[in-house]
Amino acid sequence: MSYAYLFKYIIIGDTGVGKSCLLLQFTDKRFQPVHDLTIGVEFGARMITIDGKQIKLQIWDTAGQEAFRSITRSYYRGAAGALLVYDITRRETFNHLTTWLEDARQHSNSNMVIMLIGNKSDLESRREVKKEEGEAFAREHGLVFMETSAKTAANVEEAFINTAKEIYEKIQEGVFDINNEANGIKIGPQHSPTNPSLPGAGGQGGSQGGGCC
Amino acid sequence: MLTTNKSEKRLSSTVSLFKFSELWTTNKNQYCFVPSFSHSCISKSLSDMAARKVLENHKTFTSKAVADNMNSENPKFANSKNKKVKAFHKIPGRPQLLNNPWNGLFHNDESSENKLEKFERLLSGDLTSTELCQLSWSGIPMKVRATVWRLLSGYIPLQKEKRQYTLNKKRQDYLKMVKEYYHTDSNESNHSTYHQIHIDVPRMNPSIPLFQQNIVQEMFERILFIWAIRHPAAGYVQGINDLVTPFFIVFLEEAVCFNVPFELLTINVLTQEQRDKVEADTFWCAWKFLESIQDNYITAQPGIQQKVVQLKKLIERIDDTLHQHLVEHNVDYLQFSFRWLNNLLTRELPLRCIIRLWDTYLAENETFSLFQLYVCAAFLLHWREKLLLETDFQGLMLFLQNLPTHNWTNTHISLLVAEAYRLKVMFADSPNHLKCK
Repeated sequence: MSYAYLFKYIIIGDTGVGKSCLLLQFTDKRFQPVHDLTIGVEFGARMITIDGKQIKLQIWDTAGQEAFRSITRSYYRGAAGALLVYDITRRETFNHLTTWLEDARQHSNSNMVIMLIGNKSDLESRREVKKEEGEAFAREHGLVFMETSAKTAANVEEAFINTAKEIYEKIQEGVFDINNEANGIKIGPQHSPTNPSLPGAGGQGGSQGGGCC
Repeated sequence: MLTTNKSEKRLSSTVSLFKFSELWTTNKNQYCFVPSFSHSCISKSLSDMAARKVLENHKTFTSKAVADNMNSENPKFANSKNKKVKAFHKIPGRPQLLNNPWNGLFHNDESSENKLEKFERLLSGDLTSTELCQLSWSGIPMKVRATVWRLLSGYIPLQKEKRQYTLNKKRQDYLKMVKEYYHTDSNESNHSTYHQIHIDVPRMNPSIPLFQQNIVQEMFERILFIWAIRHPAAGYVQGINDLVTPFFIVFLEEAVCFNVPFELLTINVLTQEQRDKVEADTFWCAWKFLESIQDNYITAQPGIQQKVVQLKKLIERIDDTLHQHLVEHNVDYLQFSFRWLNNLLTRELPLRCIIRLWDTYLAENETFSLFQLYVCAAFLLHWREKLLLETDFQGLMLFLQNLPTHNWTNTHISLLVAEAYRLKVMFADSPNHLKCK
């Protein structure tokens, strides 16, 4: 199917915070109460629409266990967006955010949009991390923040789509070099940057190539 | 210099007998102890015979039945991309239950009366590892599988009169280890290991009710925890839990005398004593099995990283068309084969098939780690035609991460290992393809 842009995402965060469930809810619109461990990385994809344009999302869901870090790190490169997920019912998953963020910043391209996600918002009675704490962390580190529930699907669409919107805006502003696929963005086959009828920022991106760094 | 080259040389030697030594002893003061097994490998001629037999038996079956099966597995294959994406993205990489648990178990080589008799004759006296491996390589009848796995794992000795004594002793040793080491509050490192296992075990095999039972989960927690603290270099890495599962199933079904398939079993039907035996047997056999692939699970997982490179080079050499197709669409071998290697295909195949696959792995003994590379190559090549039809990265990746093996039976596995063996023989004499930086 034709698309204007392809964005690549990576989902990161401690083991058991619900990364795979978020992806499954987003791609298949369903919840798997018991979800087996992710080994290495798993792949998912979905088409969304932003500003009337078809955007293809390709998403790498990574294993959270420390042992896999050497493998999963290689997926930061080439990602335009990252969903950094913690579990609002497990304080330690929130405490590890700094480490995750350092890792992400160190191994990704500097323009990668990072969305902070406090997952399992349906488990209010077991909450250990206040929403305000998530908001404060996000503010402090320049991230977008949302609480989601992969179980009820609350904010799941929004989390993925708002990340795409941020990336899309950055393209419009000419921040991303869209000719460099290493940034995790690809222009659709019918939307070459040299095509004058290109919708959106394709042409701009082309001219921004040298200046983005 | 890679150890694989050495292994290749060993493989290409003529008959080399297994030397099952006396059972190793547990040294409480020593971490990471290695059983006193000398290197052993199945002879080329023996595996060759087994592989050839499988190929001959199924010559007529292969093309049509497998093709039919593949079509029925994925009727939507010819449909549009979007539909296909949806069809494949179910629960990626989950072990699947067979529709009929016993399906495919009674029509295969490993279950023939003739073969069972051969095994029973062999087991009734002192036996050599060569004989046992030769017979086991092409599949072990369910009725004797547990005993044969104990022998192949080196858990119990080949000498008949020593078997029961050793079995009893090792079972007691395990219980002692649990008492001694299963303290979850001893230190921080152990605590984090325990915590990881504790949150992982309830997430295992979500489609199989047996694994949702608390008693089963506790058994797995103990097995994995003891393994981890006795192997601190590797520790517990996600996926190891799946590698323990086939052993557990085989010993469990033996304990219920094969009256109930595990898919329908509740653990409560076993007494505490029976459960302890199942747990100890699972632990020791998994121990031996995992030790031969420890480099898969140490820091940075060098064993796996190396094999991914080897697989790539192997495919490039065997089937350059397929290799170029993957490269052209930016598919990195790591993206799909990491899980194959970390979990030894347990996430790609139905559990019954995994058990059959491990008959061969255990018969390969310490060379199974290398043999596994060829199994992965054969597995990838099996999907060649489908892969070549995919025209973009997304289609390839979704297909590779959700391979339609739901209807696979033991017959498919027999063909898979036979093909893997054929590849190994073809490439073992020219191991240059295995060199990697």
